Amino acid sequence: MNSLWWLALPVLLLPVWWHRQRRERIKAQPLATARFLPRTDPQQLRVWEWADRMLLLVRCLLLAAVIAWLADLVVPWRGDTVLTGATTDPAWAEQQIGEAGFKDARRLRLATDDALGWLREHEREWRDGAHLLVLANQPMAAAMPRFRHSVELRSKAAPFATSEHHIAIVSPRAQQWRVMFAALDGPRRYLVDDAPNEKSELIIWDVPQAPPAAMRAPLWWIGDASAFPELRKAPSVDGLSYMDSTRGRLWGFANWPPKDADSARALFETWQRLHYAPLAYPAPSQALAASPSAPFVPGSGALRDFLAIALLALFALERILTHARRH
Amino acid sequence: MLATPALVAHTTDLDLIIRHVLAGLGHGIHAGRERGAGVEFSEYRAYAPGDEWRRVDWKLLARNDRYYVREAERDSHVAVWLWLDATASMAEPSRSVAGLDKLWYARTILACLAAIAQRQGDAFGLIVCTGDRVQFTPAARGPRQMQRVLAQLARAEAQGGMPAAETLRASLHFARSPSLIFAASDFLDWPSPLSEALLRLRRMQHDVRALCLQTQAECDASFSPDKAYRDPEQADGVYRFGPEAAATYRHNRDQHFALMTAQCRQNDIPTLAAPIEQPLGTVLRAWLRRAGRA
Repeated sequence: MNSLWWLALPVLLLPVWWHRQRRERIKAQPLATARFLPRTDPQQLRVWEWADRMLLLVRCLLLAAVIAWLADLVVPWRGDTVLTGATTDPAWAEQQIGEAGFKDARRLRLATDDALGWLREHEREWRDGAHLLVLANQPMAAAMPRFRHSVELRSKAAPFATSEHHIAIVSPRAQQWRVMFAALDGPRRYLVDDAPNEKSELIIWDVPQAPPAAMRAPLWWIGDASAFPELRKAPSVDGLSYMDSTRGRLWGFANWPPKDADSARALFETWQRLHYAPLAYPAPSQALAASPSAPFVPGSGALRDFLAIALLALFALERILTHARRH
Repeated sequence: MLATPALVAHTTDLDLIIRHVLAGLGHGIHAGRERGAGVEFSEYRAYAPGDEWRRVDWKLLARNDRYYVREAERDSHVAVWLWLDATASMAEPSRSVAGLDKLWYARTILACLAAIAQRQGDAFGLIVCTGDRVQFTPAARGPRQMQRVLAQLARAEAQGGMPAAETLRASLHFARSPSLIFAASDFLDWPSPLSEALLRLRRMQHDVRALCLQTQAECDASFSPDKAYRDPEQADGVYRFGPEAAATYRHNRDQHFALMTAQCRQNDIPTLAAPIEQPLGTVLRAWLRRAGRA
């Protein structure tokens, strides 16, 4: 869409036209006895000559810079490059670079692990025929990525970072709830507390008494609906009623705690899907051949700052030159 | 040193050109000096009956036992006014001699006249019409006045148009006593504020003499046809000099100058039309002779 601005380039003809016209008027020589001559049509005198070339040049450059800024100009200037993700192990990267024969290529360390996503936004900065080596803990994309350059992806999954999550259970059936969490395995570890505190991410409230008004948590599982009478009117999906309150999100279910493994797994998966970001699955290492039909995404605005400064400088220069010419 | 017109044209030192032009030009503007009572001592002569007693030099009588009368040089009472037209059209250059233009020619010839006037002891003043204004240098005598006038002449630049007719009319009181007025212009505007002023001065019984400067190319209508021209005083269009335009040009120009000459003759203003490619001395002599006084 932005590149449609390039169609505005004929605007550059305007200053050229103006300068030419001015030249034509100056071109006539003074002649004292001109009054004795019949007047002629100035049309015949038009000649292509350039007045004030410096000023004309600056004005054309100014317009071109405006159009380039609007069209989000990207200059392909990068050659063979090694892209490294944020969490890539440097020693492993060195070894991979040696294996892939990218010793002389430029290295670019990204601030993100999604190197292919970053590359898609910046792909126009690479010259045609450049080769890229991506070393990253690259999350798997939903669709096969396509690029106009040949990209070799070498992916190394980082070990999952373990994290701790606090859960508070207030229930006479605490043991049944604990069994459910004890069966869980994975990088996320769930610590079950007896009393809710400010670190609790989930409070299981399975008593008929209402909780203290100041108690807050992102998610509440309500086993006994008499503690939250408002939950009865809340909408429900598959028997699970849900609503947002000032304490946090409330989930209520009549038959809690889950009685069998299937219902426990269903509850757990729903909870994980809705309240935690999915764990990225690393993309397998592969070589992506260049596909000439791959779509370009709109430019990343990499040159916009530079163009803005150039615009400012050109504008000042144009004003100065115009002023100097007038005086 | 100043052998050719081109060399003369490139000289900016007016003094030098004046000396060059006036060498061999023995004649003055009008009949020479009168002798009589005055301030500047001239000579003694023998007393003759009828001379005033107060003019007898008594000290000389005591020394020589003879009556001598002091003769003094009487200053001429004729004021010479030099009128320079320095409007934009006077910048018209000669198309054959590089560096020569009408303003330079007018300025130089007026400088020569100033030198002649000074040599004769006449008071002389300068009027420069430039850039829609009139600049006066009041009439006076002597070498300092000469320097003043030369400086004014050298400073004149061809620009702007004639001052308004009212401005000129209001400033004509400069010539109270009988004066000689030398006007150098191209007279491309006629009638114009300048022509009105000159005719008016003539009617006030001043001796007005006009020098109409032209270039050889103007006389021959031989301008380059492949250039565009504009009027320096009226920026109103572009002109070209085609073959059919040349005929129109000649006709219009002849008509214009015929009218001008006729009016000058009618009012007894001696007019000389001179191409600026001619030598200065010749033109100056012809101009002075045209007035019948040389």
